[in-house]
Amino acid sequence: MTILRGLPEAADNWEVQVRKGSLELAILAALWSGELYGLEILHRLAESCALTVPEGTIYPLLSRLKAEGLVSSEWVEADTGHPRKYYKLTASGRRRGAQMAKFWTTFSANLEGLLEPLRKEGR
Amino acid sequence: MTEAELAQRKIRKYLRTLAIALRGFSARGICGEQVRDIVAELESHIADKTADDVTLARVEAVLAELGKPEDLASLYLTEDLQTRALASRSPLLVLHSLFRWASLSFAGFFALLGSLCSYFLSLAFIACALLKPIHPATAGLWSIPETSGPSFSLRMGFSGAPPGATELLGWSIIPIGLIAGFALFFLTTQSGLWSIRRLRHARPPIG
Repeated sequence: MTILRGLPEAADNWEVQVRKGSLELAILAALWSGELYGLEILHRLAESCALTVPEGTIYPLLSRLKAEGLVSSEWVEADTGHPRKYYKLTASGRRRGAQMAKFWTTFSANLEGLLEPLRKEGR
Repeated sequence: MTEAELAQRKIRKYLRTLAIALRGFSARGICGEQVRDIVAELESHIADKTADDVTLARVEAVLAELGKPEDLASLYLTEDLQTRALASRSPLLVLHSLFRWASLSFAGFFALLGSLCSYFLSLAFIACALLKPIHPATAGLWSIPETSGPSFSLRMGFSGAPPGATELLGWSIIPIGLIAGFALFFLTTQSGLWSIRRLRHARPPIG
């Protein structure tokens, strides 16, 4: 009974862990087609993959990706009257993004076969 | 004072608190230029979010979404420390990162405690091996008979040998102590780096 009561919470926790684990890949993917500033990245993640990130956490994460040499940044004067800090992938960031995407694709494709009976059962 | 002015004052206060909190960390890696860059980026974010609605309520909502400035500064410091620890593999930075983790959770506390004990033991082995030629009669690993069973004592040789004790390794403590000490030191650093990677994957929180 205790185990059954714990299940929804465990499932929520699992979902959060999956989202956390995929955040770095999602950011690299969002920057794949061009440079974006922080707020645009947040919007891209929310619109493209429903990945809602607390706003205060994206900037330290971008700062870390920059320190690791995966992204670079530059200040650009905007029409709005204030400058914006744009991020773009470095060559190393593109390599890392491609590697992560390849692993993700292979992993999820392999998992698909296992999940099929679960989906039929769930219908 | 108009509502727009109150809103602007609120933003300035938030950014000032953030800058102060970040400067408090400046000695630990985040430099003055980084602080200015971080504050400018957050200022730009707030300006974008409040571009078409600079009311006090809107500004408060935007600042609430960003979180407390002290927490935000702490997040920057944690990311910075972890990045430097993983890049440099320095035991000091590893301990510093674990210390940050210890202030956030019980798991971090035990990781820090384990690492400190392990580093201490590794240094004791190395010191014992190095001091053996200086204090050959007393430095070494000793077995002390007790009623509840023998206990072991790693001695540096600064005090006399324990009464009734038997030395276990003799001169072999030099190679064994050096190998065991450096191996334990290396393994502790590796396990600390592994813990930091785990911590990194455990954050940031996502809705």
